[in-house]
Amino acid sequence: MKRAGAVALNTFREAVRDRVLYNLVFFALLMMAAAIFVGQISIGVEEMVIKSLGLTAISVIGLLIAVFIGVGLVYKEMDKRTLYALLAKPVRRWEFLLGKFAGLVLTLAVNTVAMAAGLFAALLYVKRHLESADAVLLVAIFFILLKLMLVVALALLFSCYSTPLLAILYTSAFYVAGMFVEEMRTFRAETLSPQMAAFLRGLSYLLPNLENFNVMAAAAHGRAVPGALILQNTAYAALYCTLVLLIAMAVFSRRNLK
Amino acid sequence: MTAGNWRGSVLLVVLAVGFAGVWQLQHQIDDQRTTLHQERDDLVLRSGKLLKALSLEYTPLLADLYWTRVVQYYGYKRAKHEANFELLWPLLDVTTTLDPNLLIAYRFGSTFLAEPAPRGAGRPDLGIALLERGLQANPEYWRFYEDLGFVYYFELKDYAKAAQAFAEGGKNPGAQIWMKVMAAKIAAEGESLSTSIFLWNDVYQTANDPAVKENALLHLQLLRVEEDCKQLDALADEFQKRLGRRPTRVNELIQAGLLPRLPVDPKGYPYVFGPDGKAALNLDSPLLEQQLLNQSSK
Repeated sequence: MKRAGAVALNTFREAVRDRVLYNLVFFALLMMAAAIFVGQISIGVEEMVIKSLGLTAISVIGLLIAVFIGVGLVYKEMDKRTLYALLAKPVRRWEFLLGKFAGLVLTLAVNTVAMAAGLFAALLYVKRHLESADAVLLVAIFFILLKLMLVVALALLFSCYSTPLLAILYTSAFYVAGMFVEEMRTFRAETLSPQMAAFLRGLSYLLPNLENFNVMAAAAHGRAVPGALILQNTAYAALYCTLVLLIAMAVFSRRNLK
Repeated sequence: MTAGNWRGSVLLVVLAVGFAGVWQLQHQIDDQRTTLHQERDDLVLRSGKLLKALSLEYTPLLADLYWTRVVQYYGYKRAKHEANFELLWPLLDVTTTLDPNLLIAYRFGSTFLAEPAPRGAGRPDLGIALLERGLQANPEYWRFYEDLGFVYYFELKDYAKAAQAFAEGGKNPGAQIWMKVMAAKIAAEGESLSTSIFLWNDVYQTANDPAVKENALLHLQLLRVEEDCKQLDALADEFQKRLGRRPTRVNELIQAGLLPRLPVDPKGYPYVFGPDGKAALNLDSPLLEQQLLNQSSK
């Protein structure tokens, strides 16, 4: 675990060196612009727009980082041949993968926390005060982070056996499919054959249900999110990430690195 | 068994157990999320023009997606027996703004809007607005006039406008000849059983969608029931003339030689005479619920 921790820390440092966190400047500018202009061009929805825009930006920026950095985590090390030097040391392959995963999740967590601070600052500017109902934004942001963890796990899995371009395609496909899982399950039987409906229903439980983590509408309207859902979503993300990482470790351990 | 095989088997078992856990958790999450879904239905972007601009060159695909959403929304509401179809019009508005040539959206959309609750939104005015928009974008498509006449005839009982719509559609060079016949017949008779049967029969014959076909068939069956009951009432009048009293059972008509056998409804259930002495559907007939729904929406 100590060795995985060292890999994680280095992955985080590498992301910082690669100026990944520069996106925060973009986010800050977006929030400032929204806070200043939305009040002037709309009536009564300033707060909602700030919340929706902020959460969307946190999600989109996080997704871009998770996918584009995630798919290069293993490939880059192999391409630069630094992986061979690393694996020659007493670091197991699964420790390397776990470290890479934890490193990118740490990067995303730091990034998300900084963006969350920016969102609350913009909200404070617009409303002049914060209220307890705004705390639901923290839940929405936490759910975004859980979703990003799942995406990182998938990107890491695909980067274990594929090129970055294909891994981006696979991860994006899973992301899009993950957003439509609920629709897959609730398609009306009249428009599908019973076999197809059963197949889609089965598939919907295998795919990561990313819609579970979407509480942006509730957060924008200041509606509370049940505590049980927070626990269940956390357990879901942890379990699903574990399963995907186990598959990734199995694939990577069998991969011929010669 | 080698160490590799053993590890592989353990991994498979762990994955199977893990995904069973995911399945279990998902059910619990679904329960929790229903509490979040109890808010009003919402459509964030209601401006078709804005969506058209945002969709870049993918407008037709987006229109298809919105149309799919209309169908799913309508299907979901019907399956749940919910009478609130408040998002139907905005969704159709967005769909037809994105793709003004999506004929199916106007045709089915107007039916979804015009049919009375719980089968539809009970908004024939919006159904007509949608069809008029469809005619503006696709003036050569004469079937919209048929749909327009249909809404005026069945939902609004405005026979003058229904006849006008059929007549207008009949002027189209591609239109079928019966459009003019319908225009004349409705203008002369207003509502009649034979016109209603013809119109529903045309829907039944031309529809490709099984759900639409089924709906048309149901209406045809209810119209046949109406016709059968009228005939049975006429026979009951004849019975009363002969014997000086109303029959209480249909069997009495057979015994009196007025009927050769026991008449049954389209589902095979024998008709009965109600307490008011009028012919009616059997209480066990599945058509009875639909007939009552129809009557309550009139």
